Amino acid sequence: MNRRVLVMFAVLAIIALGLAFYALHLKRKVARDEQLAAQQLALAPPANGPPTPVTLYVASDSDGTLRRTQVNVTLPPERTERARAVLRALLGQYLQSSSPHPIGAGADVRDVYLLGDDTAIVDTNAAFADAHPSGVLAEELTVASMVVTLNANDTKIGRVKILVNGQERETLAGHADLRRFYEASNIGQVVKDLQ
Amino acid sequence: MPLSGRRSRLALAIVAGSALLFAALWGRHAIVHAQSVAQNQLTVYSPQTSYSVPLLDVNGQPYAGLVELLEPLGSVDARADGKKYKLHFTPPGGRPLELQFTEGKNKGKVRGNGYKLPANFVVQNGRGYVPLSVTSDLIAKLLATDTELHPAPRRLFIGNVQVRYTLELHKDNPSRLLLGFSSPVNPSIATEPGRVRLTFRHEPIVSSVGENVPYSDPLITGVTFSEHDGLAELDVTGTAPMMANFADGGRTIIITGAPAPAPVAQAAPAPLPPAPANTQNPAPQPRQPATPRFLVLIDPAHGGGDIGAAITPSLPEKDVVLALARRVQHELANRGIAASLLRNSDVAITLDQRATSANAARPALYIALHAANTGQGVHVFTALLPAATLSPQGFLPWDTAQAAYLELSGSVAGSVAAELESRKLPNTTLLAPLRPMNNIAAPAIAVEIAPPAGTVDEIASAAYQDQVAQSIAAGIAAVRAKLPEVRP
Repeated sequence: MNRRVLVMFAVLAIIALGLAFYALHLKRKVARDEQLAAQQLALAPPANGPPTPVTLYVASDSDGTLRRTQVNVTLPPERTERARAVLRALLGQYLQSSSPHPIGAGADVRDVYLLGDDTAIVDTNAAFADAHPSGVLAEELTVASMVVTLNANDTKIGRVKILVNGQERETLAGHADLRRFYEASNIGQVVKDLQ
Repeated sequence: MPLSGRRSRLALAIVAGSALLFAALWGRHAIVHAQSVAQNQLTVYSPQTSYSVPLLDVNGQPYAGLVELLEPLGSVDARADGKKYKLHFTPPGGRPLELQFTEGKNKGKVRGNGYKLPANFVVQNGRGYVPLSVTSDLIAKLLATDTELHPAPRRLFIGNVQVRYTLELHKDNPSRLLLGFSSPVNPSIATEPGRVRLTFRHEPIVSSVGENVPYSDPLITGVTFSEHDGLAELDVTGTAPMMANFADGGRTIIITGAPAPAPVAQAAPAPLPPAPANTQNPAPQPRQPATPRFLVLIDPAHGGGDIGAAITPSLPEKDVVLALARRVQHELANRGIAASLLRNSDVAITLDQRATSANAARPALYIALHAANTGQGVHVFTALLPAATLSPQGFLPWDTAQAAYLELSGSVAGSVAAELESRKLPNTTLLAPLRPMNNIAAPAIAVEIAPPAGTVDEIASAAYQDQVAQSIAAGIAAVRAKLPEVRP
């Protein structure tokens, strides 16, 4: 093999190496941007207008409890949008670095639909379920806090079903049943036990 | 710079060579993966329990996981640190014994002494694997007991657990073959015209009268013993349909001719002749209803590709709960309560399959075991279902089958919580939307263990798990009288 071929081979190898590093850099950048965008999405104020006090039931892993708290959130006038804003405020609490019940980064509520007057279908994104900590109590705390928080801010909502990316999923992260409709009255009993 | 034809060919050859190299490497990775999915199993028989260990195929040689092999026999603490792998095994009532191996090397240490493997030690996903052929010797060294490995059928016997059998042919009309076993057995039985096959999956049956025993009999022509795929089989061949009956509490199985089928269509049944007062061939007796029995079914959650929660990066929930399940089974046995495990190895079972298997087993009580790295102490759950007045005797809706048993389930949960309290273990009793508990047609609870006060690693410690297992077993024993026995 003469010198020119060796030089050509070396140049090709350097170019390939450079492209590999650049591709890796781009991949990391996209992942970072997506994560940042998702976090900002969940924490962003949903609408214009004066902030309204909303009731949140916030879970705590250390003692396995739900604590009632109030925060001020700017709520849109439409009922499903209001429900989504309330749930986003709840998930926002869980996404903070000091959260007593951390959930996966990027978790968000994509939409809330109403079936009739009393049934809410909550469509979450994939990060909500895929990155949720696995455990019976940890998953139950998340589901219970979402159901009772919705009911506390819109008492007509008595049944809640949670979807992931528009699809029904068997469990949240291996434990809590997501195939069923949750009755706020039944969850109320759980919440009493958890308080 | 334009490339000449020769150089172009050379550049193409380099690119093609690289592509082939990548393809070869990728292909090798894929083969290892495929082999790890298509696992065989080793069946281990010990005086305490029988269990299965998945085998990994490495370059055509079967390997067994050290943790899976040793965990049912004692307490195991294993760590992989780079290529170094250390395992501490503590037999019941004994002191910790150390095993050390290095990935890719065939030399290691067992109990401080040099130990040479017939092939290199393998570490995959943080788990250590040794060739199947050394499993017998390793266990003999650790437990100081006799062991016997049947490598081809993948059966390992620890101690003198072997169950032997005798054959006795009675040339009556029809002939009867009596198979006598040294311990009660419960094989699955398959019949077809001229053949009865007894399959022993959990009993350490070994041949004691030769593998082929021919008979010159008008009905029974021979018995063949074989062992393969972690089980043993006795194949009785004959010239006419035969059937098998159990006697002597499962120690004897009687093979004899099956009664001739009744005519399908008859204008009017002919009067039967009076039965003789004393006959050597009594008519088959109607089948007696099975005796009610009290069985606790323990369901260690997750398994296989479903690892559950990652308690630590190297400690999945599926392993923690399997170890706990075996301890609970042991503690229940100490209290005279029969218990079986829904999975006794690292296999994946769907939630619906778990519920189906559990309901088919007709247990007096079902317990699902979970583990988590959040929170503290032990959480005892019953199903979160609306109160319902369903009759357990009738059909039950699949999604709410548990509703009919909520009261009994609550009693068991309360009793287990009281036992945890008496051992000063932090505990909470809650309702939970947990599958497959909702689908279980029997009293059912779920127990989730979180780390005790201290490090997360302690969740797998023998001391902590023993305390939890004792609480669960004592809690069940305390309410046993309330739970109805069930006919299998």
